[in-house]
Amino acid sequence: MAVRHDMNARILLQEEVGPDTFLMRFEATVISEYARPGQFIMIRLCGYEGHDPLLRRPFSIHAADPDKGTVDILYRVVGRGTRQMSGLAPGMALKVLGPLGRGFSLHEERTPVLVGGGLGVAPLLFLARHLKGQGGSVILGAVTSRQLLRLDAFENTGLDLLVATEDGSAGVRGLVTGVLDNLLKDIGSHHARPAAVYSCGPMPMLKAVAGVCMEYAIECQVSIEAVMACGLGLCLGCAVKARHDGYVHVCREGPVFYSDQIDWEQL
Amino acid sequence: MKSEKEIKQACSSPDISVKIGDLELKNPVMLASGTCGYGLEFADFVDPSSLGAVVVKGLSLEPREGNPPPRLAETPCGLLNAIGLENIGLDAFLKQKLPWLMERNVTVVVNILGSTLEEYQRIAARLSESSGVHAIEVNISCPNVKKGGVAFGTDLVQAANVTRKVVEVSSIPVIVKLSPNVTDICAIAKAVEDAGATAVSLINTLLGMVIDIHNRRPALGNVFGGLSGPAIKPIALRMVWQVARCVGIPVIGIGGIATAEDALEFLMAGALAVQIGTATLVDPLASKNVLNGIVDFLTKNNYRNLVELRISS
Repeated sequence: MAVRHDMNARILLQEEVGPDTFLMRFEATVISEYARPGQFIMIRLCGYEGHDPLLRRPFSIHAADPDKGTVDILYRVVGRGTRQMSGLAPGMALKVLGPLGRGFSLHEERTPVLVGGGLGVAPLLFLARHLKGQGGSVILGAVTSRQLLRLDAFENTGLDLLVATEDGSAGVRGLVTGVLDNLLKDIGSHHARPAAVYSCGPMPMLKAVAGVCMEYAIECQVSIEAVMACGLGLCLGCAVKARHDGYVHVCREGPVFYSDQIDWEQL
Repeated sequence: MKSEKEIKQACSSPDISVKIGDLELKNPVMLASGTCGYGLEFADFVDPSSLGAVVVKGLSLEPREGNPPPRLAETPCGLLNAIGLENIGLDAFLKQKLPWLMERNVTVVVNILGSTLEEYQRIAARLSESSGVHAIEVNISCPNVKKGGVAFGTDLVQAANVTRKVVEVSSIPVIVKLSPNVTDICAIAKAVEDAGATAVSLINTLLGMVIDIHNRRPALGNVFGGLSGPAIKPIALRMVWQVARCVGIPVIGIGGIATAEDALEFLMAGALAVQIGTATLVDPLASKNVLNGIVDFLTKNNYRNLVELRISS
């Protein structure tokens, strides 16, 4: 069984990096050592004896530095839990459970293409840093330039950075799938190494990315978000319709799936 | 020969063992069905053999795929769920999960469900002849699946019938898990006692709902769900108190127990044992902490056993 820990983690950094969007870094040595790109953690507000909000919240691991023993998450304030979290200052502690779930399967013989939309960039930075030196590209998209997150961090990964915004305020005007389509066409005709796509973002975007990859017969992995209670496979609450039979559970079989595992029509 | 110190220690450490029919549990802390998987999913946090018992995810004869998502909604101090009794089915459990539990000497209680009396009876018969299964817990109360136990748990005659059918074919203790969604829980408890139940466990979840105002529709795919967590504890405690005073068989308390203090309230109300449910989802170590806290409380306050906790009125 994978190594998982529930630990009190001290907050080291809390920084607003976009509209209602925060980068939080905390000290969690064991988790930083064992975490793999695509895995997640469950956070509970600590020193808090009450029961409201009751459940932990799942977050993709945005970065992990085993040398410094730190883990980063990127989150947006969307409800009570994240609002409380954004009010915590460095020095305070959180209860952090992880690393959890199945992360990305890395294919070193292929050209990596990372596709992130909005907050979906969260797990992709960790992945991009792991892929350092392998070449490849990262495509980041948002509605408008203000919502593009962590561009400078991605620039430092050595991957080619391509940007798309729906209003054309940065990069190409349009959707990430348009950029992906062109890139896959190019890789298909000029590169010996076929592409492997790793993606995270809103469900409609993932569905479209999966569609483009299918056209080019390119393997595609997607990181999926779901409401969770336990993150451990105990409650079976985070079910998503599987393409073949019944449901898959995001916390245990995921959060990263091959796009052909998911029934995109049912979403 | 024992040293003086050993004798003193033996005298001062409280007896926390519990008997449900012929089944002896080493302590009163059990894990509730549906919140601990098949007992092995979080063994890296709590050794399942250190607990009184593990009540595994409710099993049907055939696998069930469960309800369409969303299956969860958070409520103030609570969790609303409509998983829809998703499970791998009896055969897969016996082949793939039970051997692991047996190897580790886990006290296994299997929660069962069915859509007909015959289905309940067939599962019970199979489990009864499987070594490694120590007791059966009959889910007559799950409100989630339209064809599920709802008719059994809320009707006196049906509750008694399903109990009788299961008891008929079982050579191991039969615990009947009661629904709180009834007018008179004592009447149901007495009916299943008369039908031969070894014990009752209560409460199952309370039927509830949440509406997503932004999408103007029910938050759960199934519309209704079962409410659990600290929000339901006072209701559960009241029902355990009532049932403990109207039946002679053991009562197992369930409902929002997250701490040792919560568990002690149930034991004082008349429960012989408790089950930890939703708390495990929030904190995988909850059951271990509850158990340690109970022992500390007994020791500190010079209780020799759990029965001494009980409020007699």
